[in-house]
Amino acid sequence: MKSKIIKSLYKKEILDVLRDKKTVIMMLVIPLVLYPLLFVVGMQLMVRVSTGMAEHTYKVSVIGEDEALLADLMESSAEEGDSFRLVAVDDPEAALLAEEIDAYIMQTTVDGKKAYQIYYLSSVTNSGYAMDLLTNMLRRYSGVLTKERIEAAGLDPEYILQPIGINSKDISSKEASAGSILGMILPFMLVVSLLLGTMYPAIDTTAGERERGTLETILTLPISNNELIFSKFLTVATIGIVSALLNIIAMCGVGVYMFHMVEQVNGADTAFDMSRFLPAILIGVLCVFAFAVFISAMSMCFCAFAKSYKEANNYMTPLMLIVMFASFGSFLPNVTLTNHMALVPVANICLLIRDLLAFKINIGITLIVLTSNVIYGVLAILFLGKIYKSEAILFGDGSTSVQIFERRSNLKKGGVPTLGDVWLVLSVTAVAIIYIGGSIALKHSVGSLILTQFFILSLPVAAVLYSKKDFARTFRVKGCSWRAFVGGGIMIAGAICLGVIVTALAEKIFPEGAKMLQQTSGSLVFGSFFKTLLLVAILPAVCEELMFRGFVLSAFEAKLKPGVAIALSSAIFGVYHMSIVRFFPTMLLGAIICFVSYKTKSIFPGIMMHAMNNALSVVAMFYPKAVCRILPVLMKQTVNVRDGCILLAAGMILCIIGWRIVGLDKKAGCNS
Amino acid sequence: MLIAKNLVKEFEKNEKHNRKVMFRAVDDVSITLEQGEIVGILGPNGAGKTTLLRMLGNLMQPTGGEVFIGDGEQRLSDERQIKRCIGYLSGNTKLYGRLSTRELLQIMGDIYGMERRETETRIEEIAKVLHMEQFIDNRIEKLSTGQTQRASISRCLIHSPSIYIFDEPTLGLDILSSNAIIDFMKRERKNGKAILYSTHYMEEAEQLCDRIILLASGKVIAQGTLEDLKEQTGGENLREVFRTLVDEEYEQDEKQDN
Repeated sequence: MKSKIIKSLYKKEILDVLRDKKTVIMMLVIPLVLYPLLFVVGMQLMVRVSTGMAEHTYKVSVIGEDEALLADLMESSAEEGDSFRLVAVDDPEAALLAEEIDAYIMQTTVDGKKAYQIYYLSSVTNSGYAMDLLTNMLRRYSGVLTKERIEAAGLDPEYILQPIGINSKDISSKEASAGSILGMILPFMLVVSLLLGTMYPAIDTTAGERERGTLETILTLPISNNELIFSKFLTVATIGIVSALLNIIAMCGVGVYMFHMVEQVNGADTAFDMSRFLPAILIGVLCVFAFAVFISAMSMCFCAFAKSYKEANNYMTPLMLIVMFASFGSFLPNVTLTNHMALVPVANICLLIRDLLAFKINIGITLIVLTSNVIYGVLAILFLGKIYKSEAILFGDGSTSVQIFERRSNLKKGGVPTLGDVWLVLSVTAVAIIYIGGSIALKHSVGSLILTQFFILSLPVAAVLYSKKDFARTFRVKGCSWRAFVGGGIMIAGAICLGVIVTALAEKIFPEGAKMLQQTSGSLVFGSFFKTLLLVAILPAVCEELMFRGFVLSAFEAKLKPGVAIALSSAIFGVYHMSIVRFFPTMLLGAIICFVSYKTKSIFPGIMMHAMNNALSVVAMFYPKAVCRILPVLMKQTVNVRDGCILLAAGMILCIIGWRIVGLDKKAGCNS
Repeated sequence: MLIAKNLVKEFEKNEKHNRKVMFRAVDDVSITLEQGEIVGILGPNGAGKTTLLRMLGNLMQPTGGEVFIGDGEQRLSDERQIKRCIGYLSGNTKLYGRLSTRELLQIMGDIYGMERRETETRIEEIAKVLHMEQFIDNRIEKLSTGQTQRASISRCLIHSPSIYIFDEPTLGLDILSSNAIIDFMKRERKNGKAILYSTHYMEEAEQLCDRIILLASGKVIAQGTLEDLKEQTGGENLREVFRTLVDEEYEQDEKQDN
């Protein structure tokens, strides 16, 4: 990539986008004109309505003997600023329903005690307000009577009525309390405004360019695909950042205006020491940058699938909903920014800003949030580079496109899924798993386990059924000889031995990762042994095998070299276990199962191998002593060099023997 | 000199019975384009003209074969280097409507790695030649069809390429506009530039082209000067030559299929 070319392309994109009315309206007019206008008009309206209510004279009728007393009370209420007018009507209920009067009072006697019943309409604002005022008036009257009676009994009313004094005092600083109020609104506004700001440039530079036919022009220039995508991404991110900053400025302006109004009304001292917000603002601006990287790349990914402006608009709607939902999640009470939550996109930014405004600054977590956003953004750009292959888009032959978005009637039967479909299903599944893992309520429950496996299985199955692919071929639903099972069983024993070494090494290299894994993973015991076996060994074995060795490997195999297909699909398998320590052993396990699945073209040996691997850990949890006696090395916390060498040798030998047995299978030999 | 050797482009195509079949849009085509000549590419719709030109312009990667710019010993085969030598224009190459022609040319000059001052003088030159002074600072979306076409041509000229590839440049234009383009091509030939262009207008090709390449079903079925082709087929004019050769080709195809 040449920086000079990127600079020129960036200049062109910015010029082009800034001259698009929709972008400018979204970026400038909404934050700088619409928000302040709405706030100011809203405030004015509120003030007018409330003064109008206070100045209103409420019409009230009275039933019963106490008309004179109540008339007196109403008159004296004028001192409090409440104004009533006594109205005589024949049928007060009918008059109230017809809204001729605002309320009526009926005086009754209950157990020898006077009681006043206020009738009002909750559906009419003025009537509700009249009820409140009348209640206050009667309470004042009740207070007067109490005082009189206590005095009549020769006691001190103060002494009786207020035996103890109760007071509360807010000692949080004005800045902190203002920050916590801002923290309720600002993150959400920021996320939405960034998304709205990036939306139009993202559509315009991808689908828009495609629709207007300027892509072929740009391809005649000596530029590479990556330079083109990167400059477009820079453009979208710039516009996103600018519009987010404008939104923040507008919101701060509105905030200052509101505090000013409150100050005028209450006369309270609301002067702020803005310098206390400085660290929060600085980190907040960094957050905006990191989040802009993520959200621009995401919205461009969504738009790149679209052939036209209109289509891109449709694809943006689900993204909007997901993002809004995720940022709403961060307002729930008890949701805090833990290490785990810091990895959840969108929610992590909202929570971080909320904490920052409440002066809770944790540098470690802040760094996790910022880097995770940048990493997700970079991954999304790489993905974009994959799908936005200019040639395929321009002269589209459809072979690498995403077929899930096509009309079903246009799709042809048979074959395996396209790479585009696989990437899409993988990303949707990843998002689903991250959110399930991130939601604390479901952690380590049977529900979260089943839900995770449900997504892993249902999304690829749905994709294959929708795009009319060859189900049996994609998921390798095909019998195979007993040798594959025997060989696979021996290989998995070898894989477990090798896995112990790899895990030990990974824990040594990433001690923090190991600690985090221990804290988060907890116990995987669900009731009885067989129930646990079913949930922890059998269910994931079936679902994950169908996904990774079925859906993913089949699609990769068709388009990539076998070695690349196996390496890539097992790496993805490793990534899906969401832990740096588990990544390496899982990838190794995945690779070994991939070999067998690739060779036999059947999913079943793989399911058996996967289930055996998981079952071992279940057995170890329920019968640690027995396992310790038979395979002591598996239960040790650390592996010394001697054990390591033995395990390595044993693992290698077992794998080779197993592989030979699988290879002996004549049926498999014919296929390969 | 632009040289293409054994170019092949295959697309996946959905055939009957839901089977995917590889379809050869361009089938083993070799072309040499000398400086100072205009070569016309003719062929029925779907013959592979546009695909061939896109591969020559490096907009599309060939499935097989190679494209390079050679001059005896020297040989340029890097994508960027080739694109720097070529001015490519087709009906599909639209311009950025929200920019003015001058802005567009400035940015393209930057991308081609030209100095700012060099770009400015070049823009003035082009504006004079193509009579664009009146509207060079207007937004492109506000221009008329003829003006837009001139702006498109100016885009191909900015980096002073030695080779032009035009895909149906006169399609849908009125006589005045298409004459301007034809005049432009003649002038550039005089300046020693090489021009390869595709068209459906036989009369235009007859009076303009030094050599003609006839393409059908992705293959070159005949090439040579107009005289060569007339001799070969006994046709009176290019129209007859075209019909004879294309009919022959399709008859052969049908026999092969049967």
